[in-house]
Amino acid sequence: MAEFSEKMRQARLVFYEQDIEEINKILSDFLDRSQAKCALLIDKEGHLVTKKGFTKSFNTDSIAALVAGSFAATKQVAQLLGETEFSVLFHQGKNENIHIGLVAERALVVVIFDDRTTLGMVRLYAEELQQKLTDTMLQSIERNKDKSNAVSQEFGNAAEQALDDFFGDKK
Amino acid sequence: MVQINFASREVNCKLVYYGPGRCGKTTNLQVVHAKAPANSTGELVSIATETDRTLYFDFLPLDLGTVAGMRTKFQLYTVPGQVYYDATRKLVLQGCDGVVFVADSNPDLMAENIESLDNLAKNLAENGLDIKDLPIVLQYNKRDLPNALPVADLDAKLNRNNWPTVEAVAVNGDGVFQTLKVISQQVIKRLNREQGYDESGSKKGKPGAAPKPPAAPPPPPPPAGSAPPPPPPPPPAAVAPPPPPPPAPVAPPQMAPQPAAMQPAAQVGPQPGDPNWRSKTDVFRERMAEIKKTASTSNASATAVKDAPPATAGAAPAAPSAPPGPSTKQVPVLQPQTTVQPPPLAEQTAEPKKKGCFGMIVFALTLAGAGIAGSIQWFWS
Repeated sequence: MAEFSEKMRQARLVFYEQDIEEINKILSDFLDRSQAKCALLIDKEGHLVTKKGFTKSFNTDSIAALVAGSFAATKQVAQLLGETEFSVLFHQGKNENIHIGLVAERALVVVIFDDRTTLGMVRLYAEELQQKLTDTMLQSIERNKDKSNAVSQEFGNAAEQALDDFFGDKK
Repeated sequence: MVQINFASREVNCKLVYYGPGRCGKTTNLQVVHAKAPANSTGELVSIATETDRTLYFDFLPLDLGTVAGMRTKFQLYTVPGQVYYDATRKLVLQGCDGVVFVADSNPDLMAENIESLDNLAKNLAENGLDIKDLPIVLQYNKRDLPNALPVADLDAKLNRNNWPTVEAVAVNGDGVFQTLKVISQQVIKRLNREQGYDESGSKKGKPGAAPKPPAAPPPPPPPAGSAPPPPPPPPPAAVAPPPPPPPAPVAPPQMAPQPAAMQPAAQVGPQPGDPNWRSKTDVFRERMAEIKKTASTSNASATAVKDAPPATAGAAPAAPSAPPGPSTKQVPVLQPQTTVQPPPLAEQTAEPKKKGCFGMIVFALTLAGAGIAGSIQWFWS
């Protein structure tokens, strides 16, 4: 496994199609085996990276933001206990449960599951999932570090125009 | 840090509204949620106490649409303003791309403003961010207070880095979108600089070059138009680059004094125990209803004048691309507590169906087994 350096910790997260394809494949395999409902990969700032499974009935943007907030808060609790951070969080509900795991110190994998499977099963496969995703992300960061991560040249001007259009005559 | 996803063609930015307690951060988000086109905003999530004070953060996703082939999204957060919640404020700032500092124009609260700004600098530093490097916009809120401090005084005490400023009365919606526009411009400019493009969009250095502080590039960027006269008062679009000596306020200075009825709610207000105490949500709903009433009439006439050529004036209200204006939108229902939609739909029904099928198969197998057993028994007898 590639080592996680300070440089990688500071690098901008940029995902190309190849990265997302690999991640999606890993998530799909995990869902097949664990029988979980869906799995999301989000970054620690609360932005959604990709998702797999039955996600249509969930507001994934809000879930991503709240999970990232929740993880950040428990990290502080962990530090008060002398830990660096908790690498796994689990919330149990009546019907739905959520399992959160740390990936490459930069992202979180969020697994939502119900009574079609068990916590043990999810935890068993999630451990393997975290490891695979960590490897993939580290390889991706390594692979992309020399690529030009620039969005297209006209992005700035187009964004200016889009802002004018969007906010228009709003006060 | 702006996340770029080339696979889903998305650019995600995180903006944080910061400021002292009860200065109007949550109100900013509520107004954006209520007045932005419904298909551009998501659910407003609020983690608040029972008295509607923000406990952790409020969150509102805002979709700007597709820009140069990339879907551009802003995630708007607020922080809890109370001094006690410093730890959670720091967490929300993690990885942010821009900050709107909402300052209270009440002269009695200047000390809180300064303390909060110092706290912002400290918390940014603890997150590895430099307040001088990050896009920041100052919003001078509650300009309708009768004793509101003059902008020059606020500037002298708060504007430490020639940040752009906007005057606002957030509770009425004044200045809210302008603030959001200015901070968005700043963030996108910074992203452009980081990508190695200059303000005109041409490549200036190698990608990933170190970003310069927003106040650094003094040469006034020529607005895209043709040869505008330099000195006259800048139009709203020219506001983004901070003017060097006097940080010119963006909001229209002639802000009409607001009805006195709103002022108590905006500043001190009765406490939760009082009989006439109303929660911020109640106040907000009433205000939004009023705003919509007035906006629906004024907007309809404004769009008719602006968009339609004389011949098609009758069709004008339907013309703008942004779907339902404030007049057609329903009053937002804000959740005081965090809510995530329960899954009510198709996936839920799929599972009972599966179980039903499985049951049928088991039943059929049982019947067949019973039949075979019966026939064997009959044969032997």
